[in-house]
Amino acid sequence: MMTRFINDMKKYFSYAKYSAKSDLKSEVASSYLNWLWWVLDPLLFMMVYTFIAVIVFRSKIEYFPVFVFIGLTLWNFFNKNVQGSVKMVRQNSSIVSKVYIPKYILILQKMLENGFKMLISFGLVGIMMVLYRVPVTWRIIYVLPILVVLVLLTFGLSCIVLHFGVFVDDLHNVMMVILRMLFYLSGIFYSIGDRLEEPFRSLLLYCNPMSMLIECTRNCMLYCTLPYRKMLAVWGLISFILCTIGIRLIYSYENSYVKVM
Amino acid sequence: MEDNKIALDVKDLRIRYKCLNMFSIRRSFFTFKKANEIVFEAVRGVSFSVKKGEILGIVGKNGSGKSTMLRALAGIFSADEGSIDLHGNSVSLLSIGVGFQRELTGRENIVLSGMLLGFSEEQVRAKMDEIIAFAELGEFIDMPVRTYSSGMHSKLAFSITAILESDIMLIDEVLSVGDSKFKKKSYNKMKELISDNNRTVVIVSHVSETLQELCTRVMWLHDGEIRMIGTPEQVLPLYEDFMS
Repeated sequence: MMTRFINDMKKYFSYAKYSAKSDLKSEVASSYLNWLWWVLDPLLFMMVYTFIAVIVFRSKIEYFPVFVFIGLTLWNFFNKNVQGSVKMVRQNSSIVSKVYIPKYILILQKMLENGFKMLISFGLVGIMMVLYRVPVTWRIIYVLPILVVLVLLTFGLSCIVLHFGVFVDDLHNVMMVILRMLFYLSGIFYSIGDRLEEPFRSLLLYCNPMSMLIECTRNCMLYCTLPYRKMLAVWGLISFILCTIGIRLIYSYENSYVKVM
Repeated sequence: MEDNKIALDVKDLRIRYKCLNMFSIRRSFFTFKKANEIVFEAVRGVSFSVKKGEILGIVGKNGSGKSTMLRALAGIFSADEGSIDLHGNSVSLLSIGVGFQRELTGRENIVLSGMLLGFSEEQVRAKMDEIIAFAELGEFIDMPVRTYSSGMHSKLAFSITAILESDIMLIDEVLSVGDSKFKKKSYNKMKELISDNNRTVVIVSHVSETLQELCTRVMWLHDGEIRMIGTPEQVLPLYEDFMS
């Protein structure tokens, strides 16, 4: 399976890249303001959450807007990809029913698109860090392994969700609820470490990969501390296993996807 | 023809559709009996082989498994039983409306479709002008595909697969594309493609005259089984009789 995956990746990666590029381009072309939305969307949500947290709940977190922005950046990438993969096969039925394509390439294409938007978002984080005069140390390097784990996790889960999304009619609704719950449990606009008591603190921080990844990113970008390296390694391993399961699922069932539609 | 190499081997092919209602979490709460699974076999034990350079026509009434078989040959379906051996040839399914991304321009869709057919971006770009010229879309080529009329849509689809040549071409009722002028042109292009001795073609059509003229062999499928296979002169009159 591994060799097949590598061969297929070689063969179809350029397709995914081109497709993602032209999708982004057409998004810009259809309206001049569209690319502005890539920036405005997280920016406006950041303002909403900052308002609620600072004014309503009197949160005293240092660099709060940046804090929220990092959370939203990672979350949006994860959320958009996982939610999008539920109906991925049905949405691309015109391709899927005409030509063979490994179905995870569709996920990869969306991930490249959303990844590009995430990079823009990270650019904004950088600008905000300068504006807030956040001190930076070499520990910021840890963002890279964190992003690798995030990408693996997202890809693995998306593959699994894509597979079940073909056969389960209302998975869309279920995923929406699950993801919304996960959103509130990921500490995007509050700090799990400060707000919660044990055992919930460790439970949320270590068993929810998103809150772990977000917390790690904040630690190394904003507060000059080290990320939870052990947990990062553990979740990296789990994500890798999820990817294997997802790819295996898709390979063994993808030929029957067309028949269900 | 000097080389009698076999390009395509189909052995005892069976394809089933499971008419299973899609599982729904909501429904499974309210119904207790298990949904009974209806299995419909669209292709029932078909075996044949096509030699390199041969043009095989497939006829049969609606629902006799023609399109299902073409899709299986193109690798979109896997066989439930039996095997399909392409002997390493590249294959493309030419049918009305290849998968286009509606928001992208025709030009981008040409590249994407080509890449899906297994060509590299450079290879497609090299043939780009030829495809655009053949499709006769004018300035629409730089407009999103969603703005195309259905005729333009199929003209573009046809041009892509006709000009990006693969070893085995599977054609599904595509001879009736566009207006009468383009129809004539695509028909001629088709003949030109077909006359290439290296290309193997499988055509599904309802039009006996086309098959009579183009094919070297005709297969008559009936309810997923081969009713007859032979030269067009043998098969087509009987088929016509049966249909009328």
